[in-house]
Formats: sequence, structure tokens, C-alpha cells
Amino acid sequence: MTTIYIAIGFFALAALLGMYLLSFVLRGKETPKAIVFTHGPLAAIGIILLIVYILKGGPNPWESLVLFVLAALGGIYMVFRDLTGKPIPRLLAVGHGLLAVTGFVLLLVFALNG
Amino acid sequence: MKTQSFWEVTTPHRPEFPELEGNLDVDVAIIGGGITGITTALQLTDAGRSVAVLEARRVGGGTTGWSTGNLYVPTGAYYHKIQGSRDAETITSVAAARRSALDFIEQQTVQKKIDCHFSRRPWYFFTQEKDMVSTIEKEVEALQRAGMPVTFVDDIPLLPRARFQKAARMDGQARFHPLRYVLGIATDIASRGCQVYEHTTVIDLKEEKDHCTIQTNHGTVTCRQVVIATHIPIGIHTVQTVAAPHRSYVIAVKLKSGNYPDAYFWQNDTMHKAITTHSTDSMELDMLMIAGNHHKTGQASHQEYHHYFKELEDYARKHFDVASVEYRWSAQHYRSGDGVPYIGLTHKDARRTYIATGFYADGLIYGTVAGILLGDMLVGKENTWLKAFDATRGTNLATAATFVKENVNVAAQYLKDSPFSADAEHLSEISLGEGKVLEMDGEKVAVYRDENNHLHACSAVCTHMKCIVHWNNAENTWDCPCHGSRFMIDGSVIEGPAIANLETKQIDSSNGRLVKDERHHSGQRDLNNPIT
Ligand SMILES: Cc1cc2nc3c(=O)[nH]c(=O)nc-3n(C[C@H](O)[C@H](O)[C@H](O)COP(=O)(O)OP(=O)(O)OC[C@H]3O[C@@H](n4cnc5c(N)ncnc54)[C@H](O)[C@@H]3O)c2cc1C
Repeated sequence: MTTIYIAIGFFALAALLGMYLLSFVLRGKETPKAIVFTHGPLAAIGIILLIVYILKGGPNPWESLVLFVLAALGGIYMVFRDLTGKPIPRLLAVGHGLLAVTGFVLLLVFALNG
Repeated sequence: MKTQSFWEVTTPHRPEFPELEGNLDVDVAIIGGGITGITTALQLTDAGRSVAVLEARRVGGGTTGWSTGNLYVPTGAYYHKIQGSRDAETITSVAAARRSALDFIEQQTVQKKIDCHFSRRPWYFFTQEKDMVSTIEKEVEALQRAGMPVTFVDDIPLLPRARFQKAARMDGQARFHPLRYVLGIATDIASRGCQVYEHTTVIDLKEEKDHCTIQTNHGTVTCRQVVIATHIPIGIHTVQTVAAPHRSYVIAVKLKSGNYPDAYFWQNDTMHKAITTHSTDSMELDMLMIAGNHHKTGQASHQEYHHYFKELEDYARKHFDVASVEYRWSAQHYRSGDGVPYIGLTHKDARRTYIATGFYADGLIYGTVAGILLGDMLVGKENTWLKAFDATRGTNLATAATFVKENVNVAAQYLKDSPFSADAEHLSEISLGEGKVLEMDGEKVAVYRDENNHLHACSAVCTHMKCIVHWNNAENTWDCPCHGSRFMIDGSVIEGPAIANLETKQIDSSNGRLVKDERHHSGQRDLNNPIT
């Protein structure tokens, strides 16, 4: 279970930075790249820890993983758009956030029940 | 002292070429009117193709007209290092190509009677430092292996024997006036039907199945083949992950003695210097130039960029009887992953789009090599140099190492773009003639205060891949530390891969805040960077 708690820590940090980034996207401002390139790796570490936990076998929060992976794909696409000079669709940014938050809530529920 | 290229000042009758007006259909469109683009245009015009050269600013006004006008077979990437990353066949091919390009330039100047001061002379390679002797030895050995007539010598015109550790000499190298040469060729091809356009910026390009479409600021060009001869490909290209941009510095001085050595020198010490001599108006030598002190663009180790010129000046005064410093300028070069330029099809699936880049500071010759090679490739003629230069060649260990090094560096630049990390907090911290990046209303803004106390502001986010630009106080430009795009104080592109200008911003002088632009926001701007 420790792995799950550490993953939650990483996801929580990623979520904070993600909300901060979302405020830039919603205001139509350029995102600060130091935050973009910290948010992504933090979430990626969380996902890796989650995969490690799931691979150990037993009951697992696979729904969270699916949501986080989908959110990650959306994130990579947004970074690609941003760096190649295409605006980030606000809906996509919000959708990415909602997926991740849902994954996070499910993960918390799993951890608290465990 | 303002930066000004010697070549621009000493080109009295600069021909003007028109802007593109309307749409055009040609066999080949060449983007960029430097030595690479113009040589390619020459070869294709000679082969009977209909050609259009699209130049954003002035023909020869890019790096070509801001170089140091030396023509030589050696290369700054060093043959012995290239042999290490590639093989012996490659260095033989590169050396042969460079020698042929030098001969080609001489032929053109003679045939077309271009008044560009072309003259053969030797190249010297020497060191004053014991630790550097082995580099000289290895390089001489590699050049000899590549079939070049280089020999160790005990005499060099600059220094007595006791003051250098090791020296080598190769005859048959040359000097010329690069801007006059390129303008001479451009004038010749324009008179033979090649369409040369200035002030015509390419803003988008696309390779389709049976043609290419190029969008410029004045019209659309449709063509069968396109050559991106913009020094580094414009837009986004994988080569930018290894072709690190560097700026280097040049000063041109007059000597009291009037005794100008007729040779080109590379001083291969820890601080590499290139020393050359040129003439202003006739064949008589009357100017000595010293070049060196390169650093990654936008990443000067000295905040005070003038330091780089000052260091060259101190060097000049220490070694020569300097009467006056006449000109000083700086220019950009791009490296390659394994020391050899990338010339040819832009990527493996491309059929119609060609590039030429990664020349180091040796591109007057490499640009000519590219012109000859691309000329052959585009008309379907075999050229044995292609194997060495092929832009679609696979990766190798040296390239992989460069890739990691350069991209860690780029990542580090992105990581500096954090909130509240600006050069200054208030406009009042910007002195006259100074530029600083400020954070205003959550945006990074590049602000320059001119000598009349007027503020010039634009977004500090580079339009290529969104790094934050840095102020270059020697040239009064905004330079991007990631891939080398450079912008004027009004945000317009000078060089590098960026196509779009930095977005201009208005500052309300009454409260020092940004004037809100309700029409659009910076982050929502569609830059449409083509992936080339
Ligand atoms: C300080 C210094 C000294 C040098 N000295 C030497 C030397 O002595 N000998 C030597 O062999 N090499 C030298 N070099 C290298 C050499 O000058 C360059 O490699 C060479 O000039 C490159 O030529 P080019 O035609 O590829 O690029 P450029 O001359 O830079 O031409 C590219 C052109 O493309 C245009 N362009 C860019 N974007 C667009 C667009 N969107 N639409 C249309 N046009 C566009 C630009 O305006 C520019 O005119 C030196 C380099 C430096 C930095």
C-alpha cells in the first residue's frame, strides 16, 4: 500500500501544478514551460508507481490507471500542440483535468478502503 | 560601436531584386538567398529548370554577408573527429567536395568576371599551447589521409618559431568577398531567367503528392521541388535536435604598419581564434580580421555581450600593431551531430523537399558543396558526395551523444521559464538602450527602452518552440536560447527556425501595465509552424 500512497503524493503535486496551468489556458495565456515540464513528469512517476503496484497482483485500482493513461495521452497531445504553435483547445484542457481528477478520486477511494 | 559587417559596407552597388507579386508556378523554389540558395539556383538555371529564389530580406544579407570570407578545405569540426564518428571514406569525400567547391567558386569568379577579390593563399594551423599539439598532429594526419597536401612547417608569417609549439600549412586555399560573390551570381542568374525575389518571406510550405505549395507574405508559389536553404530549416525539423546554434564574433582592424599577412590562420589554443586579412576595394590587403569567442545563441556566459568583442580587441592589440578597430559584428553557425552537414532530402519519406544545414562556420564552402550536390540531385544526376552528406543518414554514436547533450540543454532552458522568474520586476529597472524580460499580467514580455526613453514591447515567447528569448546587448536583439531564432526589438524575425514574428505588445505608460488586446491572447495565437 505504501506504493499507492507515494503515487497519491505525486498525483497530488501534479494536480496542483495542473490546476495552475489550467488557469493560464483558460485565460488564453502562454503556459510557463517550467511548470509544464514538471507537471508531466510528476504525473508520469505517479502512473509508473501505479503500474508497479498493479503488477504485484491482488485487488487494484485499474480504473484509475486507465483514466490517468487517457489523461496523459491528452497531456502529451496538448504539449505537442503548444510547442508546435497551435493553441490548446480549452475544452481539451478541462477534459484532461477532469479525467485526471476522476482517476485521483477513484485512487483515493481505493486507498482509503484498502 | 554598432555592429556592422565589413562586407555590407564594402559592397557599393548592391543590386535590388523585386518582391514577389501574386502567385507563381516554377519547377523549383529555393527558400533563402544566401550562398547555398544562390549556388543551387545557379546549378538549376544552368540545367534549364525554371527557378524562383524567395529571400525574406536581402540576397546575401544572412550569414553569408556576415562571415569572414575564407575558402579552405579544412573544417572546424576537424577531420580526425569526423573519422571517429563516421569513417575514412567520409573524410576523403568531404575533403574532395570542399576542394571541388573552392575550385568551383574560382571558376565562377573568372567566368562571370565577378569583382570579389578572389585570391589563392595558404592556410596555417598552429598552437602556442603544448596540450594542443596532439590536435594539430591528429588533424594533419587526417587531412593527409584524405589526400590533402598539408605539411608541418617551422615558419609562420605571424610569429617567430619560439612562440609557437607546432604549425602546419596547406597551400591553395583562398579568400574572397562573399557578398559581392553571391550578388554577382544572383545578378547573372537573374539575367538568364531565374526569378530572384527579395523581401519575400516564406510563411508556410507543404509537400503534396505531385507538387509543393509555398505560402509567402506576398503570394503562393507552386513548384515541383523545394529547397530550404535558410541556414537551418525553418519551421520544426528533427535536425534542430542536434544542429546547435552558436554565435561567434569578428573584429576588423587596420594595422599601423600596413603589413597584412596574405594567409588565413587558425590558432588552435584553448581559446580558438581565426585570423585573416582582406581588402576593401582592390586586391590590396588593408584589413585584418579576428574571429572567435563562440557561445550558444542566447546563452552568453557574460551578460555583457560586448565582452566578446573586447576580448578579441585585447587579443588584436596584444599581437598586432592595431591602428584602429574599424568594424565589429557577429554571426551564427549551426553544428551537426557527427561533424558533417546535412544535405539532401529533408527526411526519408520526402520526395520533393530538400535541406542543407549543419555547416559549422565553414559554410561558404559547404553552401557551395550543397548547391552543387542539390543541383545534381534535383535533376536526377548521381553525385558520389551524397553518401557522406545525406540528410537522411541514420543516426550514429556521435549524433546520439549530441542529441542527448543538446536536448538536456534545451530542457534546462524550458525549466527556467517559471512564474515570477523575470529579469526585472518593474519597467523602471530598464535603463536607456537596455532590454529585459518582465512578467506582466502573467505573461513574459520582452521590453526594450530606446535611447529616447520609448518602450518597445513584445511577447518574450519564441514563436518557434516557445522558449523565452534573452536580450543580446551587443546587437540589440532578442535571441532564443533553445534553437537560435533571433528577433529585432519590434519582434520581427532576423534568422533561425522561427517564421512568425514575436507578438507586439502595447504598454500603457500611465500605469506601466499591458494594454489588453481583446481580439486574441498570446496563448491562443495559431503560429502554424510547418513540420519541415
Ligand atoms: C562569424 C562567422 C564567420 C564565418 N566565416 C566563414 C568563412 O570565412 N568561410 C566559410 O566557409 N564559412 C564561414 N562562415 C559560415 C558561413 O558564413 C555560413 O555557413 C554560410 O554563409 C551559410 O550560408 P547559407 O546560404 O546556408 O545561409 P545564409 O547566408 O544565412 O542564408 C539564408 C537566407 O535565408 C533567408 N531566410 C530565412 N528564413 C526565410 C524565410 N522564412 N523565407 C525566405 N527566406 C528566408 C535569410 O534571410 C538568409 O538570407 C562563418 C560563419 C560565422 C558565424
